[in-house]
Amino acid sequence: MKLYEYEAKQIFEKFGLTVPKKIGIIENVNGLEKLSLNFPIMIKAMVLIGGRGKAGGIKKADNSTEARDICSKMFDLIIHGYSIKKLLLEEAVTVSQEIYLSIITDPATFDLVIVASASGGVDIEEVAKNHPEEIWKKTLVDNPKTLSEEVSKEAADFLVGRNPELTSVEESLSTVIMALFSAFQQSEAKICEINPLIVTNDNQLIAADAKFVLDDNSLYRQAPLLKSIGIDPRSKRHDVSEQTKYEAQAYIIGFPFLDLLDNPENFQKEQDKLYVGLVPGGAGYGIFSIDEVVNVGNLYFDGKVVPINFMDSGGGPSLSEVADMFHLLMDHPATDIIITSRFGGISSCDIFIQGLIMALRDRYISKRRMIPVFGRMVGTDLAAARAFLDKAKGESPEPLKDLHIVVGNQKIMADVIKEGIEYGFEIKKQEETGGN
Amino acid sequence: MTIKKLSVEQGLLHYFIKQVRPELAENITKTKTIETMIVGLGRQGTRHAQLMMEYGTNVTCGVAPGKGGTLVHEKIPVYESAKDAVEKHPNIAVASIWRHHSTAKDAAIEVIRAGIPIVVLISEFIPLKDVRDILVEARKHKTILFGGNTPGIIFPPEGIKVGMLPDIFQAELIGDKVGPKGVTILSRSGAILYHLSDALASAGIAQNGVLGVGGDGAIGSRFVDLVSRIMSYENTDLIVIAGEIGGMQEELLAHDMVSHPEKYSKPLIALISGANAPEGKTMGHAGAVISPGQKFGTYKSKREALEQAGVTVVNHQCDLIEAVKTKLNRSYFDVERYYNKMQKKWDEKPPEKTWGTLITNAMPNNLIIRGYPLQDIIAKKGLLETSYLLQVGEFPDESTLVELEKIAVDATIQPFVNQDAVPPCPDISKMLGTYLLLDTRLSNYVNSTSDKAKVAAFSLGRMLRYLAILLGNIEMVENASKGDVSFRNMIYVGLVGEEEPDPLKAKLLESMITACVDHGITPPSAQATLVLASTRANFEVAMSAGLQAITDVHGGAGQKAAGFFLSVAKKAKEENIDLDEATFELMRNTIKAGNRIEGLGHRIHTQDPRRDVLWQLAEEAGYAKECVAISKMVSDVFYRVRGMNLPINVDGVIAAIVADMKLDPKIAKAIFVFGRTAGLAAHYYEEISTQPQMRQLAFDKAVYKGSSIRDIS
Repeated sequence: MKLYEYEAKQIFEKFGLTVPKKIGIIENVNGLEKLSLNFPIMIKAMVLIGGRGKAGGIKKADNSTEARDICSKMFDLIIHGYSIKKLLLEEAVTVSQEIYLSIITDPATFDLVIVASASGGVDIEEVAKNHPEEIWKKTLVDNPKTLSEEVSKEAADFLVGRNPELTSVEESLSTVIMALFSAFQQSEAKICEINPLIVTNDNQLIAADAKFVLDDNSLYRQAPLLKSIGIDPRSKRHDVSEQTKYEAQAYIIGFPFLDLLDNPENFQKEQDKLYVGLVPGGAGYGIFSIDEVVNVGNLYFDGKVVPINFMDSGGGPSLSEVADMFHLLMDHPATDIIITSRFGGISSCDIFIQGLIMALRDRYISKRRMIPVFGRMVGTDLAAARAFLDKAKGESPEPLKDLHIVVGNQKIMADVIKEGIEYGFEIKKQEETGGN
Repeated sequence: MTIKKLSVEQGLLHYFIKQVRPELAENITKTKTIETMIVGLGRQGTRHAQLMMEYGTNVTCGVAPGKGGTLVHEKIPVYESAKDAVEKHPNIAVASIWRHHSTAKDAAIEVIRAGIPIVVLISEFIPLKDVRDILVEARKHKTILFGGNTPGIIFPPEGIKVGMLPDIFQAELIGDKVGPKGVTILSRSGAILYHLSDALASAGIAQNGVLGVGGDGAIGSRFVDLVSRIMSYENTDLIVIAGEIGGMQEELLAHDMVSHPEKYSKPLIALISGANAPEGKTMGHAGAVISPGQKFGTYKSKREALEQAGVTVVNHQCDLIEAVKTKLNRSYFDVERYYNKMQKKWDEKPPEKTWGTLITNAMPNNLIIRGYPLQDIIAKKGLLETSYLLQVGEFPDESTLVELEKIAVDATIQPFVNQDAVPPCPDISKMLGTYLLLDTRLSNYVNSTSDKAKVAAFSLGRMLRYLAILLGNIEMVENASKGDVSFRNMIYVGLVGEEEPDPLKAKLLESMITACVDHGITPPSAQATLVLASTRANFEVAMSAGLQAITDVHGGAGQKAAGFFLSVAKKAKEENIDLDEATFELMRNTIKAGNRIEGLGHRIHTQDPRRDVLWQLAEEAGYAKECVAISKMVSDVFYRVRGMNLPINVDGVIAAIVADMKLDPKIAKAIFVFGRTAGLAAHYYEEISTQPQMRQLAFDKAVYKGSSIRDIS
């Protein structure tokens, strides 16, 4: 989970790093009135997506007219498709030198890597590409709890070596690196970055910007930290944005779900397209089934098929969780048809079909919208699942009349998807002619 | 038609083991089996242990802190730690870890340190920092670690699976034998593994190994760690990897292929998912997220890197099948045969949910305790030996028996202070049940040891004391205890109230008690004890419930039967008529008066297996007199009276012998209750150590899974 800059800076402060003096956070221009401003100030757009500086999301203001003007423009800004809800206002810092510091996870080996450069304040990727000699990197293969003085000194040495003007702050640099490392390990971060770490004229080290990505898997035990920076430990956000209504709903129930459509709550469908909801099984097939729907759509249906969601319905969901997965998609305004696959591994075909039928019966009785379901089930507990399905079809044929489940694997899933889409288009056609 | 599996030393799993633990691999070539261990016995771990065994995996033991010393699936020993397990079973080569993500790290590190070469980490959502700690340890020990968040690994030719993969994979078939060749599949996702495999099977492509590498962001073995290793395994013809967006595993592999082409001599096909995935949103797997701004981790970056390394990249199931078919240009089995196998699987009726007991197999006319026919036990073994057998599964050695004897005698001698707190009542079961609950010495003893055989011996001693109190023989017991007295003689003194017992009589009495030790989980007394045990009630509470279920209706018929036999004998003597005639008349009158003839009929047996041996022993001891004679004819007489076959049961036989020994008929019930104490204790401990608490107790679904029939040596 990525933190907003002001949240990240709160953590930095806890670990003894100095950050610019925070003036406040505003959610609209009028918020400025309540703040006492000590110019010059920095105004920063709080978005999770990167590239905010280039997009005009960081500005300096020297007086209140300027501040008001910058804030009002910034609230109108859209950065990579994401609007801005909050601005952070800080006192500006006089810059003498700019340093880059980060602790990251090596994507290849998963080891910790410390990265430092005396050429901070600019895009570090560019530096790495054009001047690799300006970058110091150290991989730690033993996942230490704290950083040894030796390594932090090594980093500070390097920085001083590249820029002798840093000599006077060498010791503080070493301290900052150790503190950043402790912040990383104790908060269980994936990425901790300061760019730039500013050296002021009076030799202070100030973390002017902060990037902090927490490990989603450890959030449960970081509750005190999250609470201390104002985050509800049971909430969730993406690396780039907040959740949609349906995503939040699924998160509370307890299964991963993503909307693939922008603005799903008020989504405008295109008449000739078929919108497919997916209850696909595990996460991997959740990703793959999106591709399969698109591929089948492109191959046989003139590209007119749109998958509307990602879902991870694997991992042994309970009966009511399975039912909720189908409820969510049937309540979703975009869904035309649901394609589902249950390849029972850890999860059971039996629980799956019971949950699905429970949802269909509930909706039928309470007269909620019913969407045709197409799919296949195979694997763990198939025999029991099949027996249940047959019995249920006999007991309540009406709610289950648009449930089409292939039992067993004589037909591969790609073919089931194709049939489901064909059926979806047929229904659509019938509805249209029926409507006329 | 049975199909012969591939011998384990020819398979891919053995090949892995050989690379990191050559000595262990060498051992396996001798034992011809690969031992595995299951760590974490929650709902999933326990259930999948069963499914693994059904598939053919050798699950040697389990590890679950707090459950050490218990059994899972009735037979598999459970240890407190991986270290304990490996000490006992040094040949364990594979461990699967099913712990919750919050405890997975400690479990994984423990397993790795125990030296197990192949570790399958099923647990998902493990914090990254913990994963790094696990990886540090795995590198140190050269462990081949799969996962976290892996569905497991499966080797269809050898019939071994470790993990939760469903049984849909297909090995090469050469006639009726399994062949080792095929495609090896590696995937970051579980469901994709299944979808890939059944798609390939639909084209006749066999899988010789299907490996889930794990869906988490940081995992033990990456594609680059495994692919070249597998290419050097002679029976792999082609490798399929299923990658997805996020991380740089696929790019790393591609890079290694470009720089070390010599390591990659076989065709490789990659199915990459996530062509239509949005940026910056984690897709279920912690690893599956396109980090904004990074140059790796996208569908495009992976596809391009792999294609540059000469890999065929696909994104559609049908394209995969085509690509594999083109590269291999062969099939490994008849597809119809695969579908038929699968069809059979899903046409099967849902399996009955059975559970197992290892103690007693109660079949019509046969009672097998731990593999030994009860009649043999009665003939050859004493009560304490039989009690030990019930609890432990084997007879005790001599020194153990001496110890048990001492425990039982001591338990008999120690005073029972609360006896006066119980108002007298003619119902022995009720009295005994209440004594059990009030006896602090017993509860203290139960709490002081985890040795169930000792608890059973102690309980027998206490039960003897209670019976002596109820039968008015406690003073004799006190007197006898001053000398050096055996438990057998103590029993005689306690039940009969005679000092200096005739050895033959004492032995016969003990044999009758031994005959009553257990009847499996079929009788209500055992069921009552099991119900209480399933709630994890105290030992003495569960025992009390079981014993109080022994009433006139169940196990209490002996007293009345003895009375009947004595009346018959008396009548024959007084009226000077045949026993046969006397029996007939008395029986007819009894039935006319609307009363039952006790000691006849059994729920299960038409010929009670305990009958003949008891008659025989009575004969040998010289106590087969009128009543025994009556007992031998009573069934025939009953036929004359009612036209129905009703065999004599063990209560009837014991009643007859008791009567001929001139003992108080009350003792007949005491014998039954006393003997059954040993069996109930065994059922109590089996329940608490092998079954989940508060389970649904379907008594008719119990299956005997203990030793097969054996002789007492």
